[in-house]
Amino acid sequence: MENILIKGDHGTNFIPTVDFNAETGICELGGESYLEDTIEFYTPLFKWLQEYIVNVKKPITFNFKLRYFNTSSSKCIIDILHILRKYQEEGGEIKVNWYYDSEEEDIDDELEEIEDFMVETNLKINLLPN
Amino acid sequence: MNYSKQVNILDYHSSFDQDTRISYKGPIDEKILQAIGTYIEGVLNKNQKASKKVFKIFIELAQNISYYSAEKNTMKNNKEIGVGMVIISEAEDTYNFMTGNLVKNDDIVSIIEKSEIINSLDREELREYKREQRKLPHSQKGGANIGLIQVALTSSHPLDIEVIPVDDDLSFFSIAVKIDK
Repeated sequence: MENILIKGDHGTNFIPTVDFNAETGICELGGESYLEDTIEFYTPLFKWLQEYIVNVKKPITFNFKLRYFNTSSSKCIIDILHILRKYQEEGGEIKVNWYYDSEEEDIDDELEEIEDFMVETNLKINLLPN
Repeated sequence: MNYSKQVNILDYHSSFDQDTRISYKGPIDEKILQAIGTYIEGVLNKNQKASKKVFKIFIELAQNISYYSAEKNTMKNNKEIGVGMVIISEAEDTYNFMTGNLVKNDDIVSIIEKSEIINSLDREELREYKREQRKLPHSQKGGANIGLIQVALTSSHPLDIEVIPVDDDLSFFSIAVKIDK
């Protein structure tokens, strides 16, 4: 199974950095995500995870290192979390880490958002300083 | 032909006070998002906390215009992009952010209803409303339908909504939000 490696761009596209590794099972989503067509961008990521779950069946560590994301991307993050939760329910081993910027003065909004992700998906997310 | 008479540019200029930092009217495509976004990150950066909030609000409201404005411009790649206005001004204790665009009268009732719900809820209720709305399928344009809720959460102030009827088909919809410094 192929890895996905996309370098984020703070240019005209504002796409996040994606690093999905099929050998290690470590998936990372970082940078900024406020692209216009989120579905087009995220659908291949959903497919990759589903393929990994069906074929590789090994543990997944998902690391979120997003500095900024729009509401449209937040819905795609929820979709990723739902895929992971379902895998966990079927016996898959998963770990979800959310890295926040420890230098940031005000992370209240971010913490609130992550709490909402947990409430909405019923999945444990570990908060870690970056 | 006297081009200058088409728009009274002095009137236009005078309609903004000296606190206005940015005013833009036109199609809101990725390049404009990037240009104004970079300005917000750069110039307002003296105040990191407020700048991040202004940026977040800008992206949500600008992308709303880009998707939903009833006035469209066709770009080079034949993509239709919504047209609207963005104004950022700075007062002593707040940054004030305003957008305006044309909306079809058929759509206006649901926007007003949603805004009224948002303004009637406290923070915890707003978060719950956001989670509920986020569960619904993506809109046709790929949006999550929670942009206005997020704007209210980010600003921590009510949305100041105004609707001015234009004709049988269209109204001008404007939204103003303030962000504490």
